[in-house]
Amino acid sequence: MTRLTTAALLIAGGLWLQPSVAFAQAADPPLMRLEASFGVLWIGSQPLGASSANETTGAGGATPLFSTTSELASAAGIDGRIGVRVTRSLVAEAEASYLKPQLRVAISGDTEGAAALTATEAIQQFTVGGGVLWYVPNRGWSPRVAPFAMAGAGYLRQLHEQNTLVETGSFLQFGGGAAFLLSSQPRFHMKGIGVRADLRAIRRSKGVAFDGGGRTAPAFGASAFVRF
Amino acid sequence: MKAHPEREGFSRATRPLALIVVATLLFGQATPAFAYLKFGVPVRGQQVTLKWSQTPVRYFVSDTGVSGVTSADLQSAVGRAFASWQGVPTASITYQFAGVTSASPGKDDGASVLGFQSRPDLDRVLASTSFLVDASTGALIESDIFFNSAFPWSVSANGEPGKFDVESIALHEIGHFSGLGHSALGETELLSTGGRRVLSAEAVMFPIAFAAGTIASRTLKADDIAGISDLYPDGIFAATDGSLSGRVTKDGQAIFGAHVVAFNVATGLMVGGFSLNAKGEFSIGGLSPGPHIVRVEPLDDADTTSFFDAAQNVDIDFRVAYLNRVIVVPKGGDSGAVTLTVVRK
Repeated sequence: MTRLTTAALLIAGGLWLQPSVAFAQAADPPLMRLEASFGVLWIGSQPLGASSANETTGAGGATPLFSTTSELASAAGIDGRIGVRVTRSLVAEAEASYLKPQLRVAISGDTEGAAALTATEAIQQFTVGGGVLWYVPNRGWSPRVAPFAMAGAGYLRQLHEQNTLVETGSFLQFGGGAAFLLSSQPRFHMKGIGVRADLRAIRRSKGVAFDGGGRTAPAFGASAFVRF
Repeated sequence: MKAHPEREGFSRATRPLALIVVATLLFGQATPAFAYLKFGVPVRGQQVTLKWSQTPVRYFVSDTGVSGVTSADLQSAVGRAFASWQGVPTASITYQFAGVTSASPGKDDGASVLGFQSRPDLDRVLASTSFLVDASTGALIESDIFFNSAFPWSVSANGEPGKFDVESIALHEIGHFSGLGHSALGETELLSTGGRRVLSAEAVMFPIAFAAGTIASRTLKADDIAGISDLYPDGIFAATDGSLSGRVTKDGQAIFGAHVVAFNVATGLMVGGFSLNAKGEFSIGGLSPGPHIVRVEPLDDADTTSFFDAAQNVDIDFRVAYLNRVIVVPKGGDSGAVTLTVVRK
């Protein structure tokens, strides 16, 4: 198997990987070069807090009929990016993603002894956003590997089951990863292909957040990219 | 209110062309209602929801006081209670104090009167609301509230041990006065005397009062607000609130009288309703949009006759259960029908 076919297989099979645009620093591409990527994104669970179905006592206190603990469960989805190199080590990116996490509400402590259970609901989550990616200057590692740091922000839209209700919010993210250039030989309109992986922290504001506060979750992305 | 005295209604004598309603405070409609029970009256074979057709609703306060509570005290306390109901932002009903009167509650004179009456024979009835209704149209003509002076009363800001708070009880009775029936959002325990003690409640319209000395029921709860808003919706109510509907079954058969509670996970608010027809259908309105947990329980924290006519076959032979789905209530719409399946005890 040639290197090219190996790369093609990686791209074809790499759609489970996360998206992002990477310009391998080693290749040192010219400015304004475009890069597109597509892959997978996994976001960890986000606790949404606890609440109780309280009833008022005669003394004015509260006693729970039952209690709940909620979370937006971890989920994997798809993610796509388009980037443009604006300086030798800086890339501006636009990003969109889609995931379908589950809202889980664990019910316990029923005052009449009902069995505990977890009620669930599927949420559809769409995001669009932008950010920057900064390639770390080469410290003598392989010229095909390009470590990077990334940061971005965007708009979040979450649809409850059967599209009955829309919740919107925003997100911030930062993290880092590495791009690996598989081939830099020109073919058709492509100038290069590769894969990329990153770890990030995503902080979400509003959306499905019962107290209106922010929620931070770890995320992992992996993608295949094509440079034009 | 039981265990401790009940807040009950009673019948008055009928007069020509008029129908006196409410006796036992409660009877449900034959069709699914929203959020709570509403009173209904039969008019030419149809069940008509009992409500005021014109506002402000004028009321008089009796000039008779009791030990520790003057007529002026009574006027102030019921004024605050009326203001609480009128202050519900999603409801349109308004009330107007029409003056002090020497008339007693219970007289069919076309004037709605609130006042004390001594009814030692009603040894578990703290207060009661009655209605005078035009039998031909179902229009509400008059509603009176009496507070049973056989019990000790207080209007103290912080309550008084051993005495019942006028404002709290008035708040409940004015709910009836406005057309609301009882809510089942509360927990009780049986006493050796045969009555019940309220452990907790999350609706002013719960049929049994807290023990004497408490003022915990001076504030309307989400369930009360949903009820009055559904009965007298203002312009924004239908657009801002949503509903949750479905049916309750056991062994594949619909059950009547199951108490269904919708709990908004985001706001922590609860509103209850009942399965109200032969199909076991319920519909809970006045819910704030968002994800809800749905719980169903038998109606066993008060006599079923506190909610339904004794002739109704209320099923209380099932275990408390939850729906295993989070149900999202949309803004200005319904969740779509859900089915709650329960099992025998």
